[in-house]
Amino acid sequence: MVAKFANWLDERVSWRQVWDAIFLRKVPKVNWFYTLGSATLFVAVNQAVTGILLTLYYVPTPDHAYDSVQYITTQVPAGWLIRGLHHWGVSAMVVLVVLHMLRVIFYGAYKYPREVTWFSGIILLLVVIGFGFTGYLLPWDQKAYWATTVGTRIAGTPPLIGDYLLRILRGGEDLSAVTLARFFGTHVWVLPATLMLLLGIHLYLVIRIGISAVPKKED
Amino acid sequence: MNEQEKRTYLEKYQEAKKKGFPFFPDIVFKDAVVSLVVFIVLIALAYFVGAPLEARANPADTTYTPRPEWYFLFLFQLLKYFPGKLEVIGVIVLPTLAILLLFFLPLLDQNPRRHFLKRPVITTAATLAVAGIAFLTVQAVRETPPPAEVTSGDQTAALYAANCAPCHGASITVPPGTNLHQVIAQGKHEGMPAWGADLSTDQIDALAGFILSPGGSQLFTQYCAECHQVPELVASNPLELKRALDEGLTYPPHANAKISDWSAVMSAEERSRLLNFLAAADGERLFATNCSPCHGSSVAFSGSEAELRALISKGGLHLEMPPWQTKLSQTEIETLANYVVDPKAEPSGKNLFDQYCKTCHGERVPTANNLEQARQIIASGRPHQTMPIWGDILTSEQLDALVQYTLQAAQGTSLATGPQLFGTNCAPCHDEFGEGGPNPSLPGDIIPPISSSEFLKTHDDTTLQAIIAQGQPDLGMTPFGTAYGGPLEDTDIEAIVAYMRSWEVNPPAALPPQAQPPASGGTTLSGAEIYAQVCAQCHGLHGEGGSGPALNAPQFQAANTDQDIANTISAGRPSTAMIAWGGFLTSTQIEQLVSFIRTLPSSSASPAVPSFAVDVMPILQVKCVLCHGSLGGWNAASYTSIMTSGNHVPVVIPGDAANSLLAQKLLGTQASGEIMPPSGKLSDSEIQIIVNWINTGALEK
Amino acid sequence: MKEKDEISRRDFMKVATWSIGGLIGLGWGIPAIAYVASPAWKSEQAQVWIRLGATSKVELGVPTLFKVKVKRQTGWIVNEEELSVYVLTEDGRNYIAMSNVCTHLGCRVRWIAEQDRFFCPCHNGVFDQQGNVVSGPPPRPLNQYQVKVEDGQLFILGG
Repeated sequence: MVAKFANWLDERVSWRQVWDAIFLRKVPKVNWFYTLGSATLFVAVNQAVTGILLTLYYVPTPDHAYDSVQYITTQVPAGWLIRGLHHWGVSAMVVLVVLHMLRVIFYGAYKYPREVTWFSGIILLLVVIGFGFTGYLLPWDQKAYWATTVGTRIAGTPPLIGDYLLRILRGGEDLSAVTLARFFGTHVWVLPATLMLLLGIHLYLVIRIGISAVPKKED
Repeated sequence: MNEQEKRTYLEKYQEAKKKGFPFFPDIVFKDAVVSLVVFIVLIALAYFVGAPLEARANPADTTYTPRPEWYFLFLFQLLKYFPGKLEVIGVIVLPTLAILLLFFLPLLDQNPRRHFLKRPVITTAATLAVAGIAFLTVQAVRETPPPAEVTSGDQTAALYAANCAPCHGASITVPPGTNLHQVIAQGKHEGMPAWGADLSTDQIDALAGFILSPGGSQLFTQYCAECHQVPELVASNPLELKRALDEGLTYPPHANAKISDWSAVMSAEERSRLLNFLAAADGERLFATNCSPCHGSSVAFSGSEAELRALISKGGLHLEMPPWQTKLSQTEIETLANYVVDPKAEPSGKNLFDQYCKTCHGERVPTANNLEQARQIIASGRPHQTMPIWGDILTSEQLDALVQYTLQAAQGTSLATGPQLFGTNCAPCHDEFGEGGPNPSLPGDIIPPISSSEFLKTHDDTTLQAIIAQGQPDLGMTPFGTAYGGPLEDTDIEAIVAYMRSWEVNPPAALPPQAQPPASGGTTLSGAEIYAQVCAQCHGLHGEGGSGPALNAPQFQAANTDQDIANTISAGRPSTAMIAWGGFLTSTQIEQLVSFIRTLPSSSASPAVPSFAVDVMPILQVKCVLCHGSLGGWNAASYTSIMTSGNHVPVVIPGDAANSLLAQKLLGTQASGEIMPPSGKLSDSEIQIIVNWINTGALEK
Repeated sequence: MKEKDEISRRDFMKVATWSIGGLIGLGWGIPAIAYVASPAWKSEQAQVWIRLGATSKVELGVPTLFKVKVKRQTGWIVNEEELSVYVLTEDGRNYIAMSNVCTHLGCRVRWIAEQDRFFCPCHNGVFDQQGNVVSGPPPRPLNQYQVKVEDGQLFILGG
């Protein structure tokens, strides 16, 4: 039955070709360090799933942000888990991304022909940092508020443009409802869109070019 | 990398690929295993550590030490090494440089070798960078410890953290002799808000106790909180508190509770800390709970601090009253006795009293029930009255505070000056206790009480001070502040406001003067009568509005359902003079009122024939009944008594206002006696209404 | 032989991979369902005893309106709502407390003393003193609350 349906579908959308290209391709013998990229991808999916769930209850205004987060954590069944996964997922993401990058650096995997993969990877790193920074404010607790105050103030230090930069980040002089709204918007719309685009490029290139082999002494 | 090298690499890679494995399942399996491990770690972290949520963001809290998330810590730390103008290097130049270097790494590193040992520069640089970031992160953690957590479960500590800590930090040093409760309730000039409106008296007491004895709150949470709420115990009678702590198990109310032996559980020092928390070492509060039942609101004490301390702590055999007959003449005793029974009747007694009695009795004139008793006590003296040995009961901090306060109060500060200033400046119009009454500068106006709990609750100190200082010219109140040409300094005004605040606990005027609860009379009143008594004062006799909104306006009538009106009457409007009448009126009466209010638009359209209940009675009620009530003579309280009572019956001759004494007295055309009311002629329109009513037959309807 | 080992190893890895995938899927899916669908079975309001006021305020034989403020939590927002309850007692010992919400379409009924009836203004529903339907569209008597009296204070069970 399943096979019949698979065939029926394949006749129409040729999914086997795609499947073969992605999953049945041969790759050089690699070690466990090569799982770091996939693990990062896994955590990214985790962040997406839990993040989407969080928006079902979260309200990004100073009046409600804190209360709704508290509500999620204490009142909603499994809310603590969803929020816990999202919260710790950030740390896991940062750790894994950095380890993944170090693997690429130490194995020289950024070299020909994978330069573009590397470029997209670096931008992805910045996107991840952006996620961390914008997401940090959202619970609107003391830590969030003051860490973001300091963080945005840092952006305001460069001469000439600093003041403008600060006001763009905060949406005004002070950290306010405007700041919260734009951080939220960036966190759930701008950055995810960027992430998906870059991740698409990144993965396409990885599959197209293939995973680099573990360099031997003579390489 | 030249073309040759590129080709070699690709060939080698193809070979490696051939020797390799299919991506699925070999590689994907490894990926899945690692993902599962990561997932389990995340769930474990969520379960065992959880996602932290600190207190709600408080932009006013400048004491909070912000610490960014751990992965930004290294950057945060880096900034510390670039102080002042160099900051921009740490903030912008270095990070940008690092990211650019990282980004262009494939272009910078043209070395065709790939093994990390064959690329020493990159390997070293990367290792150093990782080590540097790790070092900076560790430094940052060591240099900025995470913020201390608030002790959980300690309600008062939480109250403090939420309300006081943002400005005052972790603790406050209070100068001795500060009336802490008052400072918290009324705020201070230096930008401290008045908390009286937001916090309950109990909460303020608890806060005062917490500030003066922070450890006590913790002890309370530990030992008492299981059975007692904080507000229930704070500022209670220290006698009982002390007893409960001393007796522990044997303290009767604790008989059925599982109580430890306090003296075993807590050290003496801890017990006094707990006591200081429960009855804050706040002189005025201590005086109010412990001394005023016998000593009234103040004592006159002219001795030294040490004497006072000894007196309070040793209690009193000191209060023996000598037999004055040995020192004073018979007439002097007589004068004093008269003065004590009724100070107003014997003003000359004041000098004698000041001379001989004031030292012990203070300003408070002891009251005697009758002349005989007074005479006897003054002449033959009195045995001592026992004063508790407070030294055994109060903690030393509490004793200090009490002594400080008593000395201060005896020197005639706020407590004493407030009532005095109020008496000379405000009482002429607002009456002795702010009950209000006829407005002397605005005939026909009634000054509402300023001592009702409604009034006091809806006016904060700033507002009251402003009203006193600037006056209310529209209402005939002249400015009293020196800045506005009045006689009172700011401190005087504060003293008056402080005195007014002292009413709040037990307001002398519970209701507006005309609002004698009609329900209690037991008589049935019509909607019109209730309206006239209760509502007309603010909403106008015909609902035309006044200090309250117009009720006969079509907009009002259209916008509100009967239920809305009934609800408003019953529940009142917060922060306005519209109090919750549901407490005084029955629901039937409210329904009657609603029906009456519905008739207002039509009835006000034709006021040609004045209605007794709606037009006449309210005027009489306000202007006449105060004197012409149950005191005898003409009684203006009801239709029947108006028509039939008094020494000059009939006062009202239906259809003939010219010969009716009531109209004559109001118009000033009477043959004998004075024009009424004595405070000044009624307004022309008011007189016209009554004259019209008489001329149209003086009907009861 | 070696070839065969290889194949069974691959099969194992396939099965294991799919299982792990399924496991992680469940790890997300079950909490997600609980998280999203919980309002379906979680009733937000616990029933508590609400103090109406002193029994002495209740007039004998006449439904007396009590209004109390009730804290109602919807999500993380706590609102104060006013609850209107008519309390009736014939003997000063047994009390019935009736909701003032008409059982027809939820309008507020009012006690009209002259007629000795509750009237609903919306569709002319009429209830008698005890809240039984006299005429009009209401399908059942006015809802009653469980009542208790403690220390002369009336309490109703509601939320």
